[in-house]
Amino acid sequence: MTKRLLLCLSSLWLVFAACTQERQPCLTPKTASFNVVCVHLASDTATVAVDTALPNAVFAPVTQTGIVPLVYPLSASFTLSLSSVSDTCMWLFTTDSLKYALDTLRFYYQRQLTFLSNACGYTCFYHLDSFRTTHYNIDSAFILTNSVTNNVNTTHFKIYIHPDY
Amino acid sequence: MSTPRTLRYIFTLIISLGLQGQWQVRGQQTTADTTMVADTVKPKIKLPDRSGRHLTLGIDVAHPIIGQFVSGRQSWEFTADYYLAHDLYLAAVGGFGTSIVGYTDLSYKTTNTFLKAGVNRSLLLRNDSADWNNMFIGFRIGAANISRSGAAYTITDSLWGNSSGTQPGKNFVACWAEIGMGVRVQIAKNVSAGWFMSGRFMLNGKSFKDLAPAYIAGYGRGDKNSAFDFDFFVNYSVNWKRKAQRNTPLTGSSKTVSVEVHRL
Repeated sequence: MTKRLLLCLSSLWLVFAACTQERQPCLTPKTASFNVVCVHLASDTATVAVDTALPNAVFAPVTQTGIVPLVYPLSASFTLSLSSVSDTCMWLFTTDSLKYALDTLRFYYQRQLTFLSNACGYTCFYHLDSFRTTHYNIDSAFILTNSVTNNVNTTHFKIYIHPDY
Repeated sequence: MSTPRTLRYIFTLIISLGLQGQWQVRGQQTTADTTMVADTVKPKIKLPDRSGRHLTLGIDVAHPIIGQFVSGRQSWEFTADYYLAHDLYLAAVGGFGTSIVGYTDLSYKTTNTFLKAGVNRSLLLRNDSADWNNMFIGFRIGAANISRSGAAYTITDSLWGNSSGTQPGKNFVACWAEIGMGVRVQIAKNVSAGWFMSGRFMLNGKSFKDLAPAYIAGYGRGDKNSAFDFDFFVNYSVNWKRKAQRNTPLTGSSKTVSVEVHRL
């Protein structure tokens, strides 16, 4: 009886062994999300900002291979990324692709090499130090959270759209 | 630790403890019944263990076979246990292994040796002093010395471009606790086979945040705080008599022997 039990459970073990995977699937985001929100002041003297769904916003990273425009129709929140090959990167931004001039946003940060898991490998997290911007569409901007990780729920950067918009 | 895995371990533990409790009750009932017949023996007297010396040496055949199917992973495990007394065994497992990670974005190699020590407690009543077939639960503490080579990595970014680099090699020490259950059956004279399935719980998992080894021989996946594994051992046993048995052969009245058969 015990020998039969042994044989049965040995078969079970073989099934278990056969199901062993080579590499587990990566279940966490591999890229650090740089989340930006745009709000709008109704006037120069207004103190309460309201979320502003931009009609046809364009964010365009300036990369080594050129400018890659990303269009976000009717959105107030945007997910960008920072460069893992440099300690600074530049984005172009306009609230409406057809009407307004482009603003330049340049971010300065420190890269932090981070091991996620054997399934996901390495990625870069960032510590945001500072930024510079022009003011065609942008009235002002602020860093809300310095640490940029793969946490998609954190808002890192807030842009106040110009009251004239 | 994920909830399904936790439940699996708890389930295994409950089954093990349940079986142990069942057999303990059976053993007490048998002793009580026999005591009624042999009224010269008091119930609370702890009877001497009449089993001889029993040393078992074994080798795990499961992981070398798995290594043939899972690329870049090898593990060799050797086991030894020694019968102390009253269904208790002293157990030790040692071995070594290698693991090669060769993904496109991550590659490194680890080697490790390990040693586990603990006890096994038999769950089955034995038929006689020569019966070494058993089902048992075991507890062990394990430690491994791990050496990891330099790790080459690539971060893939379709927007800004890929970046790559190398992380320097590192040595780790891993410690874990292990609880499990197994079966051993004699298949020939002095030769037995059996399996041992166990849940393993890393005790110093925080030291692996910087590139945890993909595989630790003797434990399992190094990037998990818990692991579940099977071993399948082929064993060779060595038996010899205790000193007291060699000097004074066992003799006694039929009443005394009838009790001892159940308490070996």
